[in-house]
Amino acid sequence: MSIESLPTRREFVTWASAGIGSVALAELLARDSVVADDSNGGAASISHHPAAAQRVIHIVLNGGLSQVDSFDYKPALAKWHGKPLDSEERPDVFFGKVGNLRKSDWAFQQRGESGLWVSELFPHVAQVADELTVIHSMTAETSNHTPATFQEHTGFRLNGFPVMGAWLNYGLGSDSHELPGFVVIPDPRGLPAGGSINWTNGFLPAQFQGTMVRSSGTAIDDLFPAKSISPTTEKATRELLLELNRKHLEARAGEDELAARIRSYELAARMQLAVPKVSALQSETRQTHEAYGIGQEPTNDFGRGCLLARRLLEQGVRFVQLFSGGAFGSPRINWDGHEDMVRNHTREATRIDQPVAALIGDLRQRGLLDDTLVLFTSEFGRTPFTQSDAGVLGKGRDHNQYGFTVWMAGGGLKHGIAYGATDDFGLRASEEILSWHDFHATVLHLLGIDHERLTYYHNGIKRRLTDVKGEVIDEVLA
Amino acid sequence: MKYQSARLWKVSRRKHQHWLVAIVLISLLWASPHLGHGDDKTAAVDFDRQIAPLLASRCLDCHNKTEHKGGLDLSQSKTALAGGDSGKVLSPGDLSESLLWDYVSSDEMPPKNPLTAAEKALLKKWIERGAKWGSDPINPFRFTTVHRAGYDWWCLQPLTNPKPPQVKAGDWPRGEIDRFVLAQLEERDLAPSGEADRRTLIRRLSFDLLGLPPTPQQVREFVADQSPHAYESLVERMLSSPHYGERWGRHWLDVVRYGESQGFERDKLRDHFWHYRDWVVRALNSDMPYNEFARLQLAGDILRPGDQAAIAATGFLVAGAYDEVGQSQQSAAMRAVVRQDELEDIISVVGQTFLGLTVNCARCHDHKFDPVSQVEYYQLASALGGVRHGERDFQPQAFQPELAGRVRELDGAIASLKRERDELSSPIRERILARRKENRDQYVPPSPIAEWNFNGNLRDSIGELHGEGFGGATLHEGRLVLDGKDSYVATPPLDVSLTEKTLEAWVSLADLSQRGGGVVSLQTLDGTTFDAIVFGERKSQHWMSGSNRFLRTSDFQGVAETSADQQLIHIAIVYRADGTIFGYRNGRQYGKPYRKERPQRFTSGNSQILFGLRHSPAGGNRFLAGTIDRVRLYDRALPSGVVAASAGVEYLDVSESEILAEADDETRARLQNVGFEIINLTQQRRRYRHKKIYANVPQPAEVAHVLIRGNTTQPAAAVAARGIAAVSGDSPDFGLPADAPEADRRRKLADWITSPQNPLFARVIVNRIWHYHFGRGLVDTPNDFGFNGGRPSHPELIDWLAARLIADGWRLKKLHRLIVTSATYRQASQFRRSAARADGENRFYWRKSPTRLEAESVRDAVLSVAGQLNPQIGGPGYRDFDTFVRNTQFYNMRDPQGDSFTRRSLYRTWVRSGRNRFLDVFDCPDPSTKTPARAVTTTPLQALAMMNNSFVLRMSQRLAERLVAENGAMPEAQIRGAYELAYSRPASDTDVEVGLRFIKQYGLAAYCRVLFNSNEFLYVD
Repeated sequence: MSIESLPTRREFVTWASAGIGSVALAELLARDSVVADDSNGGAASISHHPAAAQRVIHIVLNGGLSQVDSFDYKPALAKWHGKPLDSEERPDVFFGKVGNLRKSDWAFQQRGESGLWVSELFPHVAQVADELTVIHSMTAETSNHTPATFQEHTGFRLNGFPVMGAWLNYGLGSDSHELPGFVVIPDPRGLPAGGSINWTNGFLPAQFQGTMVRSSGTAIDDLFPAKSISPTTEKATRELLLELNRKHLEARAGEDELAARIRSYELAARMQLAVPKVSALQSETRQTHEAYGIGQEPTNDFGRGCLLARRLLEQGVRFVQLFSGGAFGSPRINWDGHEDMVRNHTREATRIDQPVAALIGDLRQRGLLDDTLVLFTSEFGRTPFTQSDAGVLGKGRDHNQYGFTVWMAGGGLKHGIAYGATDDFGLRASEEILSWHDFHATVLHLLGIDHERLTYYHNGIKRRLTDVKGEVIDEVLA
Repeated sequence: MKYQSARLWKVSRRKHQHWLVAIVLISLLWASPHLGHGDDKTAAVDFDRQIAPLLASRCLDCHNKTEHKGGLDLSQSKTALAGGDSGKVLSPGDLSESLLWDYVSSDEMPPKNPLTAAEKALLKKWIERGAKWGSDPINPFRFTTVHRAGYDWWCLQPLTNPKPPQVKAGDWPRGEIDRFVLAQLEERDLAPSGEADRRTLIRRLSFDLLGLPPTPQQVREFVADQSPHAYESLVERMLSSPHYGERWGRHWLDVVRYGESQGFERDKLRDHFWHYRDWVVRALNSDMPYNEFARLQLAGDILRPGDQAAIAATGFLVAGAYDEVGQSQQSAAMRAVVRQDELEDIISVVGQTFLGLTVNCARCHDHKFDPVSQVEYYQLASALGGVRHGERDFQPQAFQPELAGRVRELDGAIASLKRERDELSSPIRERILARRKENRDQYVPPSPIAEWNFNGNLRDSIGELHGEGFGGATLHEGRLVLDGKDSYVATPPLDVSLTEKTLEAWVSLADLSQRGGGVVSLQTLDGTTFDAIVFGERKSQHWMSGSNRFLRTSDFQGVAETSADQQLIHIAIVYRADGTIFGYRNGRQYGKPYRKERPQRFTSGNSQILFGLRHSPAGGNRFLAGTIDRVRLYDRALPSGVVAASAGVEYLDVSESEILAEADDETRARLQNVGFEIINLTQQRRRYRHKKIYANVPQPAEVAHVLIRGNTTQPAAAVAARGIAAVSGDSPDFGLPADAPEADRRRKLADWITSPQNPLFARVIVNRIWHYHFGRGLVDTPNDFGFNGGRPSHPELIDWLAARLIADGWRLKKLHRLIVTSATYRQASQFRRSAARADGENRFYWRKSPTRLEAESVRDAVLSVAGQLNPQIGGPGYRDFDTFVRNTQFYNMRDPQGDSFTRRSLYRTWVRSGRNRFLDVFDCPDPSTKTPARAVTTTPLQALAMMNNSFVLRMSQRLAERLVAENGAMPEAQIRGAYELAYSRPASDTDVEVGLRFIKQYGLAAYCRVLFNSNEFLYVD
């Protein structure tokens, strides 16, 4: 029996943890002879080890956040400002232009008790610096946006692989009976390049893909009939459908799939109740709205997204992904500051700084941060020199795959620490060099999953999120 | 040998652990008889079966011929005994003198995962007993072990032609297939099921072969057919239906990752790739022999140069995603990685589709599970190294003989849609124009920031931008006269900055043949940047918006100027802040506006106005010959109505957005639908006639090198194109040098793959066909027959079918016929608990498993039952999305209405990032993945889509209308008609009663919605 066909053979219709994900995983583990006995009907424990975090919120900065202007303080840049990079090897950058070094346009300060460096680009996030686990030594395999973004999400540079959220949805399922396990909240200015490829199930069954939920307007597609239908007709319709399906099943007693489909309609009805409830942001207090920057510009959009994300997590959604930034091109609506860093990063950071800080504060205050993981990543960083002709000091920075910063916060982590380092200029990771595979392995570990054992057979390979690589970053774990 | 072992497989597979244990046991018994007895002092150590695999899997990754870390190469006896940088590592018979043992026993090597105790014991024994070598150099692929497949792996062996076995229930089998199946059932004490009833059979067959439900008429005829060959005739009718190719073509497109956009960052539309899809459909419909079907996809451009269909066939090679940005990036090193990624995609689709081998897993190292070496991967890379994505010349007429007719049909459809649009919009237009007229009296024209009337002087009548004449510029009767040789006028610098602006002039030309003269220009003082009204520069007799290096210039596509030499013409160019540029001639839009990345900003103090000169310095073809009556400059983008008023003409242009804003909701929706369909059909028309096709555009292939660990910066030995040695049959040696021409390499590869001696080629396709008929293959991993894939449930049957296929001239329709006329296929689907207990997966076919309709069939069946299906076969696909380019191409899904959108789902334009969510929830695969078997899931999102999607609601309405039209006003007749259409069976009296009660209260459309959602509609018994 192949793993591919598993979901067809069982009653896999619930979003719940005892449903799709966990059963699939239990089957999988059984195949690997890890779980010896699946006689308890599929409700087997699904974790490889106790999980420090139960749920994830992933904030994705599209376009490339400049590490040397935000979290990776490089005083050498001030000293060398306006001078060429003193290096034997000319860095290979995307647009091929290596201008002069440029100091950060934002002042850096040590923050909180931890003394983590955070620049004035993120004044609000700076106030929660003691919650952060900052990683300075990330590297990517490419400085081309989309393959780099695919790698950030799937571990691979190519199209067609499942994203981290889909893997977690597959592995852990949802804790909610009413909501999908993996929810995506896009930037209202536009979808990221590649659109839904960014939350694809890849070769995993389709039910594990991200479900797009909007923070304003229609929350989920097809949640309600496209034209108005009276509640009495709707009710009678469901009843008749149930009657016909039951009769059909009577003559086919024992067909699990048919019974499963009957139940899927009940679940759908429950979703119709749950989604409007969870997306009713107006039910939150005025203070909450103000804290997240809702109702003011430029924070309204992202504030709504962050608040919705928190509400989804509270209802048992496993993985929420929030996008900051849309596609590439001009005019820019993401972090791709080729032309003018001050303009670009100021515009982008002011949209998200206060909401992100408010989210962390809110999760902390509600006791949720203890077992929630917050991820804050960008597909790569930016160069410490400007994107201009040799010998010229420009205003923009090019892509930098060689060293950049991401951070995490929440359950299972050491808080208020910085791990790894780049060289004096912030160009290349120089200590504890890490890849996305390591990052993914660590996220899975925090959720109780051994990244080498979360697998899915596809075309000849038991595929993993981490390919054949990845090591858990033990040093950042509490 | 292999079939003996395969027979051992007849163990319970209900639990994986049993399965796993079975693998281990069998492998031990079969392949490595000695490994299980490591402690046995008397047993010999078998180098090839025990030591070679151990060294290969644990040491050779770093210590091989190409890569010898520490100077050590353990792949052959000579170098292994010679040792490495630290001297000798092996002393036969002497453990204490063997450095190798020191490293291994202390867990220093291998560095990450030390050997297990059993492995160490084995190695120890081997050294102690003299370290005898076997195959030299080591061939780790020679034998199958518990960890991997070797040359003796089942699927690599030559095809046998097994005899159908003897069975007890001799009256059940209809043919040989059934005897293979029944023998296995009997061995498990399972009884097959009887034949399904005719209504079930025709519904099953119709969805299976055509992807559509049978019509009530077809059902009635089949049920009433008294002939003993009724079923066989039905099969023939269906196999000769053109919908067969559509249904089975879709399966093939899944396997080959067919996508109509580039993927990656930009995901640009592949407008001219639909020919490949049509080629597949036609090839299947014409029952092209499968070996030819494959050969043309691999090398059609070489085998039949000039044959347009053969070129379309090579779309197979380039159906995957293409990283346009990656291929054009600055860094050559990174481009090389992108190209290697692309080759991997191509090698993997070739290997998996035709050989069922995941050759692509050998890119960075030898295949971990199958006997495919890394060298062989690069030999295939050499064979396919000339394959490139791109567009090439194409003769649409030759590919599509009925082209002219199709285009005529489209013209007719477009014209009728336009008529419909005009009928809908003209009353609205009249209303808008009437209102404009009323409002005109209150209209206050905007004031320019500068104006020159040339009444005896060059003064600005509003500000201080007084002109100064140069060359032969003169004034005559209130006009500025320019000779086209050296005359022009310039103003002092502007004291404002301008981004948004309008240039307006009344001008007459001395002659219409002049090229490049500027009427009025706004330029920087040095003349390097300018925006100007220019005549005839790029295109003779046409007005254009001139600009430095044509940065903001595009063809307005206006009409040619024919009268400006006889009269004054009003010309205006409007520059909007968003980069859009509009041209106007005599107050009406001149051609079409276009949008540039951004507008140019002209800064205060650094800009000036010129008349008669395109830009400074004066010279060249920049002078205008003619007269200018008046010029105005505005610091804003004038709207169309204002330009018209200024030109003194009635403003008759009514934009589409004005009409839509004015229309009531229903008309607006209709106008939008019609407009969308016109756009769709217009581009389909264009795509029909286009003289390019997206296909393989081969380039001279370079000499391929093995890349150490797949790293492009570490090339090793050069390799020639070659097949895979492990596959029995024809020699894998193509007899080609490493620098052989691209065409020779690919042709040889195609020959080798499609040879009747290649056992994989036939086995893989018969298994695929079986898979689609039964919902699962005899090998349940159709793209992978290797160690990680599934084992065959009926190995003899696969071989028998493969041999038959070859004997039948590779005709797939014959294979279908064999399968669907078998008793195995014709079984009832009734669930039996006792049988399910023994074989819950129905691996051994004690019944026909019920199946849920696939995504496309759900939509197609809804359309068909509602009477809305447009049966047009082939041609450019429809688009159910709006699309716009913002660096990346984006796709916004919509629910289009109109006949051209109710074609089968196969004809949807399958873009990678614009997935159709309705089809998606029913497990339509990601077009970027090679999908040999679709998942079948059941989720609440499916329920929501079926209940609420506008498509289903609309089709429920259409079905209700159809039922009334065909059955009259009586609900009972409507219900009976509905059951025939949706379920292919008559309604029972209870069904009618239940339906009547519902329809009376909630109406027929609501009832139809229930039918579409019901399990009986969505499942096939």
